[in-house]
Amino acid sequence: MRRSSFAIFHVMAVIVILVGLLTGPRLGIINHDFLTFLSPLLPQGALLSVHVLFGCLLTLIAIVFTVATIRTPFHGAPSKFDKAVNYFGYLVIVLSIVTGWLLWLNPESLSLVIHGLSATAIFLYLVLHGIKHTVFKGKQVLSVLLPRNALILLSCSIALVYFCGLGIKLIVAEQHLRLEVAPLSRQSHLEIDGKGDEPEWLRAKPIKLTTFGGANFLDGSSEVEIKALSNHDETFFLIRWQDPSESLEHLPLEKTSDGWQVQENGFYRFDERTYYEDKFAIMLSTTCELGGDGTVQYGDAPLAGKPHNWHGKGYHASTDGRTRDLWHWKALRTNDMYLADDNFFGPPQSVALGQRRYTAGYQPDGKESGAYVMNWRWYSPNEVTPKRMPIPSPDITERKVLDWFASETYNPQQDMAKIGEQLPSVLYRSNRFEGDRADVRARGEWHDGYWTLELVRKHQTHSPLDVELRSGVCMWVSAFDHAQIAHTRHHRAIQLRYML
Amino acid sequence: MTVASRLILSLAIATVAISYLLFSAPEREIPTHARFIKVTNDMQFLSVWQGPWHCVYDKKLNLLWEVKRDDESIHDGYWSYSWYDGQFGHADQGDCYFEASHCDSQDLIRKTNQASLCGSAEWRLPTPDELRSLIQTPNSPGKPHIASDFFPHIKNGDYWSSEAGVSLPKSFKREKLGATAVNFQSAETLSLPYENAAFVMLVATPSTPLSLAQSRVEPVTLN
Ligand code: HEM
Ligand code: HEM
Repeated sequence: MRRSSFAIFHVMAVIVILVGLLTGPRLGIINHDFLTFLSPLLPQGALLSVHVLFGCLLTLIAIVFTVATIRTPFHGAPSKFDKAVNYFGYLVIVLSIVTGWLLWLNPESLSLVIHGLSATAIFLYLVLHGIKHTVFKGKQVLSVLLPRNALILLSCSIALVYFCGLGIKLIVAEQHLRLEVAPLSRQSHLEIDGKGDEPEWLRAKPIKLTTFGGANFLDGSSEVEIKALSNHDETFFLIRWQDPSESLEHLPLEKTSDGWQVQENGFYRFDERTYYEDKFAIMLSTTCELGGDGTVQYGDAPLAGKPHNWHGKGYHASTDGRTRDLWHWKALRTNDMYLADDNFFGPPQSVALGQRRYTAGYQPDGKESGAYVMNWRWYSPNEVTPKRMPIPSPDITERKVLDWFASETYNPQQDMAKIGEQLPSVLYRSNRFEGDRADVRARGEWHDGYWTLELVRKHQTHSPLDVELRSGVCMWVSAFDHAQIAHTRHHRAIQLRYML
Repeated sequence: MTVASRLILSLAIATVAISYLLFSAPEREIPTHARFIKVTNDMQFLSVWQGPWHCVYDKKLNLLWEVKRDDESIHDGYWSYSWYDGQFGHADQGDCYFEASHCDSQDLIRKTNQASLCGSAEWRLPTPDELRSLIQTPNSPGKPHIASDFFPHIKNGDYWSSEAGVSLPKSFKREKLGATAVNFQSAETLSLPYENAAFVMLVATPSTPLSLAQSRVEPVTLN
């Protein structure tokens, strides 16, 4: 290979790798708090698709370079040290490419770990290789970095971007997991009871996928199995996922020597990962793009003119003006209502200055009356005053939610609770959501390391905040193991195909 | 440049970059609202994320607004009232727990003045204009048309104004006259019979100029 051809490969690889090194750690902050110190340097926004596009460019460059090298090798590196460093570089680049694609195709925690490590190694390689050459060769490096023939460079880049765009369109945007929705006769009756033991479920073909990157679970990942059935009116889903523990606590209150305190480990940053209930979310959309259909906005302030978030990880919001439907089942707050909270991801909402947490596009569908409220007058990390106490209170530690009619107004004079005693922080005002927010019926049961969740919704609710269920609609799932926002994820969309 | 000076230069650049990263932790500034300030019962101003607060000082209209609560006190947002001023209207047709009989707007005014909420004993029903000035598009679907971050526990329902003696639409057959209310769900103004149970949010003109009041230095709590 001639030096001028090598220079073209080299400069393209440098640019692509630099973009990978800038966008990758931004994705990595989702799981690794220690990376947040890099945040001021990193780009923000819907970066997953950018990262994958550049990952794809790197893959193409690597393939073409390998073929060209096999035909006519380039002899550039003069010293043994340079050679060793370069082989190390090639190895870790290949490793990042392989694990990068695995993360899209069939994610596992191990791929994520190796991908992260190989990215660190690429960075080290860049430092060793780049600094060494700059320090020893000075201005001469520019002759390698800047190819003489800009026209060839430009045409190569355009061709690469074109093929990658095409590749992504054909592979990433088309190769969805397919979920066949088996037909259900009008006579069949499925109980929404979290058991899924009706014989009809045996006819539904399951799909299995690994979701990864959540807090807790086993290594942060959970295997999910999904089945679907539909009649003319409604679609039923039966979902089973791994979760080693049944968690039914939601920021319980504990009596301390300083008064009642919220048990928390991250709630102040709206990223509670200990004292929370298990949850499960399903997102539905008529499009099937990467990055949670473009709703994941990475970074501490990814939306221009909108506030910073408190955990530095990101927001959910659409930037195309459309809404994605979101069903949010909560093991403590909604399970006993036999409902999932009907939410949506829409365009970023306007800012309410008096609210410390801004949730961008993540919002509940309208609700008429508050079903549950928090059992504290005002949240403070130091001390809170409960709104209500159970009547009478011998076994308050047993209760996870407090019913309005099983409780009375809190009176500090009559507070006989001993230090260490706990009090539920979820107070049911009524036992149902009303209106749009109550469209999704759901019930889950935990047994032997698995949650089984049954859900049902009408195909068409006529609410502008819901997505109609029909063939072609894409679906994503996320499991939460006693975590507020740190849920598992998967990047390949699941596409529904109705057999009816 | 020699190899040594290039090495030193690279190290210097790396040091600058690392110190930038380490020292540029984002400063989170607490915003201020152009119109509303949270005020505690003992007349302390709070920043937008502090609480609990019991009144809102409205800089634009120089008014204090009663803030509804979820604590079963007289200010609880769930209580409703019939329109009554001690002479006109219809007494005791609303729903609340703090009166032995049912409630009317005069009951809330009397109790609030007795307690000197936020330092004022001149609480009254707002005029329709005052009430309407609070209307704003909600930032979430289904929420009332008001700044819920400053005025929590406001329902998607009717709120009484002070304007009475207005004629009622024909659909009310028995009654001819009633009072004006603002509905925060539809953002519309309407007239309702006095005996109707509607919500109430009181208002007072502050006696001392509140803009001179000291804001509390120590944050109470951040939410
Ligand atoms: C220059 C090469 C690359 C670098 C430096 C790089 C860097 C990174 C880093 C640091 C992360 C975060 C890892 C973590 O959370 O621990 C990441 C995530 C990811 N990378 Fe790469 N990457 C590269 C190439 C690729 C390639 C070729 C692909 C293939 C499509 C790819 C796809 C992904 C995906 C899908 C994720 C997201 C996983 C998640 O949701 O956490 N990357 N990358
Ligand atoms: C690449 C994939 C994804 C990433 C990196 C991601 C990341 C995040 C982050 C950073 C938050 C916190 C936002 C905030 O504080 O407002 C969040 C919240 C949330 N995400 Fe995701 N997300 C992804 C995909 C999904 C998908 C596909 C679903 C639905 C199936 C989903 C469901 C949720 C829900 C329900 C919340 C709100 C939790 C709460 O505050 O109650 N996410 N996600």
